[in-house]
Amino acid sequence: MNAHTDLVTSLEWPANLNEIPKAVFDDEDLYALELEKIFYGPEWHVVAHRGEVPEKGDFKRFYLGEMPILVIHGDDGRVRVFHNACSHRGALVETKNRGNQLEFECPYHRWLFSSTGDMIGCPNSDQFSPSFSKEKFGLKELRTDEYCGLVFATLSDETPDLKEWMGERMLDPLARILGGDGRIRLLGYQKVNYACNWKAYVDNDGYHAPLLHPAFKLLNWQGGRGAQVPTENGHIVFEADLTMPTKVDLLDDPTLIDFKGTETSNGSLVISTFPLTVMTKHLDMLNIRFAFPRDHDHTEVHYAYFYHEDDNEEMARHRLRQASNLLGPSGMISLEDAAIFTRIHHGNISPGNAIFQKGVTDERALNFTPAQNDETGNLPRWEYYRKLMGFRRATS
Amino acid sequence: MSDPAMSDPAMSDPATSNPVMSRVSAEVRDQIADLQAEYIDALDNQDMEGWLAAFDDQGTYYCRSKENEDDGLEIGYMFDDCHARLCDRVKFVDQIWAGTFEEYQTRHFLQPTRFKSLGEDLYATETNFTVMYTDDTGITKVLASGRYKDEIVVNGVAKLRSRKAILDTNVVPRYIVYPI
Repeated sequence: MNAHTDLVTSLEWPANLNEIPKAVFDDEDLYALELEKIFYGPEWHVVAHRGEVPEKGDFKRFYLGEMPILVIHGDDGRVRVFHNACSHRGALVETKNRGNQLEFECPYHRWLFSSTGDMIGCPNSDQFSPSFSKEKFGLKELRTDEYCGLVFATLSDETPDLKEWMGERMLDPLARILGGDGRIRLLGYQKVNYACNWKAYVDNDGYHAPLLHPAFKLLNWQGGRGAQVPTENGHIVFEADLTMPTKVDLLDDPTLIDFKGTETSNGSLVISTFPLTVMTKHLDMLNIRFAFPRDHDHTEVHYAYFYHEDDNEEMARHRLRQASNLLGPSGMISLEDAAIFTRIHHGNISPGNAIFQKGVTDERALNFTPAQNDETGNLPRWEYYRKLMGFRRATS
Repeated sequence: MSDPAMSDPAMSDPATSNPVMSRVSAEVRDQIADLQAEYIDALDNQDMEGWLAAFDDQGTYYCRSKENEDDGLEIGYMFDDCHARLCDRVKFVDQIWAGTFEEYQTRHFLQPTRFKSLGEDLYATETNFTVMYTDDTGITKVLASGRYKDEIVVNGVAKLRSRKAILDTNVVPRYIVYPI
């Protein structure tokens, strides 16, 4: 353990499970420890979907924690995740965010790699050290797995099998967010850097939605029906059972909120996987929010939207205008979330604990069957976090 | 997917896209300059009705990152592909979001770079912009830098037929309430 751990040793976590010490939102040393234990530890991290890199040679640049990574659809059909660092001196191999190419060249000394990460060539290798061989100097690959085309990566050999890590309960709703069968294609991104700690970004709860978001009232999404299923290892599945309004008087163009989907349920799905990926299906929007911490008080989110390969032109276009206007950092439904992230972050620089209330029946016990509009669903994730980070809990 | 809003008949060919300001009369350029001034004055005064008034009745508005634009990806921060959508954007800000966001002050700075006549009363123009913002910390930062690609109707008075705000700022530094 390299990071300075003052807070972990000095802070005693409250005995009540619904109280979260605000100090954990704004501590650089704690953040360094989080990178080590969570982001570079035995967890899976959502880094891409095949729909972003559908063709051989397609690549995407992204981050795991603060580490630059490169997701490449190899010419053998496999999608791999590499450290975006030349195997020679560590320079970034690729600086474009997306593209298509079958060879990746580090410009520094012209070392060249294939789309499967193998070294193709390096100038003057006859003068290299006796132990050098091209086989040993491919791009360094991360362990990966896929579910419905969603690509997960981990730096740890100890991370459990992906489906075990996700849990049985997540499989069906996640597949539905991913178009039912994962055959989805990228519509584009909205990228934003929120001025808040990553834990504030992901701590949105089931209680707030109809209260914070006026658009929910407009859509008659008052919440309450449906399910919220937290897991012991920090994931949450929300299934909101919604009734669509028959008429929306306020909008001049109510087609924006049409539901054209072929799915039987017109409800909303929200899945958050530990530590900070959120994926949603609202109306006809299929949305993966790829995220990573920039530092202890900035969280970058790439809202990626998708259409299904079987969509006709009209449906794809409908998803496009809906996604562009309803979600993300300027979306009709979600703008207020963005406003809250920053408020939470600044307000939490104050003494004491953040205290969850809605749905708490026993302050000393976790509830794994909260109502859809309770905020207690976040508490198992906080408990998982506390244990991972090694915070002591007070006994009384 | 092909999108008429993405096509760019006026400026797509580099050989014909050189600034040809001299071919557009001073009077027309003057009217376009007035429109640009009114547009940014409305936004910097949080006057959404004034923003709407800058468009003609077929007006459209798109705000998206240059990265999406260059990749042919149409997703934007804002996608108002008909006049009713423009009207609804006014409602987003003035009614739906009222009281939920922290106010911020913007200042738009514009520099026209290209003018071209498309025939009749229609002109294609490009204009660089920088938008500064000052939030409740009192500190001023860059919200976005980029370029407008516009089609403007000049018929006594200039109005926007189509405005695309293309942000070089591929990662915006905060949530965006007002159009750019």
